[in-house]
Amino acid sequence: MKWGDLISSAASNLTRRKVRTLLTSVGVVVGILTIVTMVSLGIGVRVEINKQFEAIGLERVFVTPPEGQQNFFTQFGRPERTKVITPADITRWQSLPDVAPNGVQADIDVSFGVGSGVEIGDHSAGVGLTGKANFQAPFQVAPTALAGTIDIPPAGGSAVLYTGALKNLKLTVDDVKPLIGQTFNIILRNPQGPTKSFPFVLQGISSDTRQRVELALPDRIKLKSWWLNEPDLINKVGYDNVQVRAKDVASAATVVTEIKAEGYDVQSLETILTLADQVFAVINIMLSSVGGLALLVASLGIVNTMIMSIYERTREIGTLKAIGASRGDIRLMFMLEAGMIGVIGGITGLLGGFVLGKILNRVIQYYIDSRHLPIRGSFFVVTPTLALAAVAFAMLVGIVAGLYPANRAAKLDPLLALRHE
Amino acid sequence: MAPLIHTHALEKLYMMGKEPVHALAGVDLTIERGEFVALVGPSGSGKSTLMNLLGGLDRPTGGEVWVDELEIGKASDKQLVNYRRDKLGFIFQSFNLLQMRTAAENVEVPLMLAGVAKHTRHERALALLQQVGLGKRADHKPNELSGGEQQRVAVARSLANNPRLVLADEPTGNLDSKSGREILALLQSMTRHQGRTLVLVTHDPGVASHADRIVYLMDGQIQRIETVAHPANGQVPAEEILV
Repeated sequence: MKWGDLISSAASNLTRRKVRTLLTSVGVVVGILTIVTMVSLGIGVRVEINKQFEAIGLERVFVTPPEGQQNFFTQFGRPERTKVITPADITRWQSLPDVAPNGVQADIDVSFGVGSGVEIGDHSAGVGLTGKANFQAPFQVAPTALAGTIDIPPAGGSAVLYTGALKNLKLTVDDVKPLIGQTFNIILRNPQGPTKSFPFVLQGISSDTRQRVELALPDRIKLKSWWLNEPDLINKVGYDNVQVRAKDVASAATVVTEIKAEGYDVQSLETILTLADQVFAVINIMLSSVGGLALLVASLGIVNTMIMSIYERTREIGTLKAIGASRGDIRLMFMLEAGMIGVIGGITGLLGGFVLGKILNRVIQYYIDSRHLPIRGSFFVVTPTLALAAVAFAMLVGIVAGLYPANRAAKLDPLLALRHE
Repeated sequence: MAPLIHTHALEKLYMMGKEPVHALAGVDLTIERGEFVALVGPSGSGKSTLMNLLGGLDRPTGGEVWVDELEIGKASDKQLVNYRRDKLGFIFQSFNLLQMRTAAENVEVPLMLAGVAKHTRHERALALLQQVGLGKRADHKPNELSGGEQQRVAVARSLANNPRLVLADEPTGNLDSKSGREILALLQSMTRHQGRTLVLVTHDPGVASHADRIVYLMDGQIQRIETVAHPANGQVPAEEILV
C-alpha cells in the first residue's frame, strides 16, 4: 500500500467519527498548549535576560578578594580576607595581553548602613553612600540629571544626591536647585562614638530613586579609611571588587583563568549566564512536565479511542485482510490514525499556546506600563523550532499511543474478524 | 495444464474445549481452471472450512491444499497475503463493503492494497462497475444501494485484480430471489466468458444447480460429486453480460 493511500485512508477514517476524534484530541491540545506556553515563557525570559547581559557586556570579568572561613570571633562581622587587591594588582592586570585598554576598574564598597548621613542647610537625614555604577544594570533605565550635572570628576570633592536621599531629607528638587555648587556635609557616625563631618560641593541631583549620595572613588576611600580607622586602606584592606574588561568575549575565559590562578575569586558574566541557562533549562523542564502529564493522560485517551475504533471496525479489518491487506498495512493504517489525532491536537495546542502567549505578553506589558517599570520585550516567544518540536512531539505521542491498538488490529484473525457482529 | 486447485487428504481439526472436532477429515478434490464448482452441505459439513483453506485465511492441520502451484499449508504469511491480493477474489454473504467509501472506492480497495496508482485504479473500478451494471451508481455509498446492488459492487471488487479464482460464500444468502438470480448470472458469465474459476458455497440446491459440478460435503468428507449436465441459467439483462 502506498503512503499517500495510507494517509488518506487514515484521514477519512478519522472523519467518520468527528466528535470522538475532536474530543480525543482535546487532551493533546491541553498538553501541547501547556508545554508551548511554558517553554515559550522560558525562551522569552531567557532571551530577555541574555539581551540585558549582552548590554552589560559578556566580556566583563568580576574579581573579588578571597575570604577566609568565619570563626567564632569573626562570625558577626565580615570574614578576614586571605588576599587583598592592591593598586599593584590593578596595574599588573591592566598589562595582561587579553585585557582591553583602560579595562580595569577597581572599586570599594561603602555601605555603612545607618552610620552615614547628609546635612544640607537645616535638613539632615540618614543617607547611604555609593559610587557610580560601572555598567547599566539589567532592566533599568539610566538615571538622568534633574539639576546640575551627575558626572562627578574622578579627582573627588563633589557629590551627587539621589532623589531617594532628597525624600529622606524632606526636600524637593526645587528646594535643592539653588544649593547646586554650594557646600554641604556628609556625616559619618562610628559605632564606637566619634562623629565626623566631611564637606562636599553639591554638583547635581540624579533621578536615581535610591536613598544615596554618590561620591568619587578617592572620597569614598577617604571616608572608609576614617570609618575603619585604617589610614592605608587600599594596601591593607584592598579594593572590594574589580571589573576587568577582556578585549573581547572570547578572551574573557583566559582572563578568568589567569586571575584565578593568582588566588582571587573570579566570575565572568558568561559563567553566570551559563549558570542561568542551566537554571532556566531545569525550570523549563519542570514547567513542561505539567504539560507532559496532560499528554500522558491524553495518550490514554487515544489508546481508548483506537481500541474502540478497532472493535467497531473488526469486520472491516477482516474484510481488508481477506482481500489482501497485510498485517503491516493494517498496523500502519491505525498508527497513522493515532498519529493524526496527535497532530490535530498538536497544531491546535500550538496555535492556542501562541495566541495565549500574545495575550499574556499584552497583559504583562500593560501591568509593566501601569507600574512605570522600565522593561520592554516579549516574555512568551514561540520559535519555529519550538513550533515544529511541539507538533512533532504531539505526533509521536499519538503514534506511541497507537502502537498497542494498531498491533492488536494487525494480529486479528481474519476468520474471527469476519464473523464479528 | 495442471488443475488450479488440488487437495489431498486435507484435514482440519478444531478443539472444542477438550473435544477434537474434524471440520475436514480427508478431502481429496481437484478443480480445473475455468470451472464453476458449488460446495453444498448442511451447516457443520465443512464447506466453509474448505473455502477458508482455499482462500488462505486458515491453514490445514493435515494433508495438502494446492492452489495455482502454491501450497497453502506451507506458504509464508507474506506469500498468503500476496496470494489473496493478486490471485483471489472474495465474495461474502453480507457483502462486507466499506461503508464510508463509494461503490467505486470499494472496488478500488484491492488495487490500492496492490499499490496501483489512483488514476489507473479509478478507471478500472468504473469499467468493472459498468460490467456489473452499476456504471451510474459508482458514486453511491453502500447504504444508498439495494442488497443486490451492493453484492454487485462486491462482485466487481472481487474482480479488481483480475484474479484466477473467485470464492463466493453464500453470495445470494442475503438477497431476494430476483437479485440472487442476477448475481448468479454474473458469476456464471464470469466463468464462461472470462475463464475464471469459481468456488461457491451454498446450502441451496437451486443455487448449486448453476454450477458445472456440485460437491456434496457431510461431516467433513466428500459424500459425492455430481457433474451437472445442463447448468441452470441465471437471468440477466443482455446489456449486463460480462464480456
